Amino acid sequence: MSSMEIDEAGRESARQPQPDPALPARVIDVWDPLVRLIHWSLALAILLDGFVLEENLLHEWVGYAALGLVAVRLVWGVVGSAPARFSAFPPSPAAAFRHLRAILSGDRSAHLSHNPLGALMAYNLWLSVLAVCATGVMMTTTAWFGVEWVEEAHEAAFAWVMASVALHLIGVALDTRRTGVGLVRAMVDGRKSVPAGVRVE
Amino acid sequence: MKLPRLIAITGERRAWALAAVILVQGLCALFFAADVAFDFTERGASGSAHLALEAVAAAALAAGTLFLMAELRRLLTRQEALRRGVMAARGEMAEVIDGFFDRWRLTPAERDVALMALKGLDNDAIAEVRGAAAGTVRAQCARVYAKAGVDSRAQLMSVFIEELLAEPLSRERGKA
Repeated sequence: MSSMEIDEAGRESARQPQPDPALPARVIDVWDPLVRLIHWSLALAILLDGFVLEENLLHEWVGYAALGLVAVRLVWGVVGSAPARFSAFPPSPAAAFRHLRAILSGDRSAHLSHNPLGALMAYNLWLSVLAVCATGVMMTTTAWFGVEWVEEAHEAAFAWVMASVALHLIGVALDTRRTGVGLVRAMVDGRKSVPAGVRVE
Repeated sequence: MKLPRLIAITGERRAWALAAVILVQGLCALFFAADVAFDFTERGASGSAHLALEAVAAAALAAGTLFLMAELRRLLTRQEALRRGVMAARGEMAEVIDGFFDRWRLTPAERDVALMALKGLDNDAIAEVRGAAAGTVRAQCARVYAKAGVDSRAQLMSVFIEELLAEPLSRERGKA
């Protein structure tokens, strides 16, 4: 029986790259309204503060709003809808590495929540936005006002956020091409349209 | 089919309204909490009655936000159940089954086996159709049960029978 199992497992991995004819096309609700609202508000806040309101009085307030958006999202990651919860996309470099290897060997399967690489990016973005906000808040206090390394840290953290955003966009484009699931659309109307033959994990 | 559709749309609208209120109220709670903390570090305990009142207000806002989050989650869960109930009632049982199989993260082989099990084939018959050993099919069935959180074939069936009973639909209708 154990040899049968190995045989079965071998057959499964051998046919994994090919589309499975047994799987129909389907539409799955993934991102709830709160996730989408926070995602696009945060994107807007980052762009506004980074490029439009750099020296503006509103810069501070938009920064507080960004801090609040991440805070609400982190709470929603504990109590929220199933795909939005951290348990649906635990931060795991090992899983991300396995996922990367699977992609390179032609795996086309899609993920209900974030894929393991996307999960790492989500945590990275939240943490680095928090770092930008923390150094930004420090610059408004009497103790840290005008301290050079704080200002430099604020700008370095923002540069890291921008690099991450670029990588995030590339990741979204590549994953959309790989699985055929429109990820941008999923973040707009909340639904992932999985094409026929694509496995969902 | 008009009524469930209408319910789904109003549900969607309510979810959006709730999400927006959660966001605004959450931001307000954080703002007032930060204000209280700032005032406290600045002025210490002087004017503590005022500070205490502000702290209570901030805590109440935060608690309200958490409550609304729980409410939104309940609403989303109910909408999902409603959607599945409508699909089952429309005879789109195959899609409902696929949805469950996706959520349980069944492999293609496990999907085949689970579907045949649902159609009433026993392990030997499934093994014959798939050209596999009965032991392999038994092991696959066990994995399907574990992923679905059930103990037996009958319980696996009952997961889908439950959808056909459309309990949430009738409850919604009673309310509307």
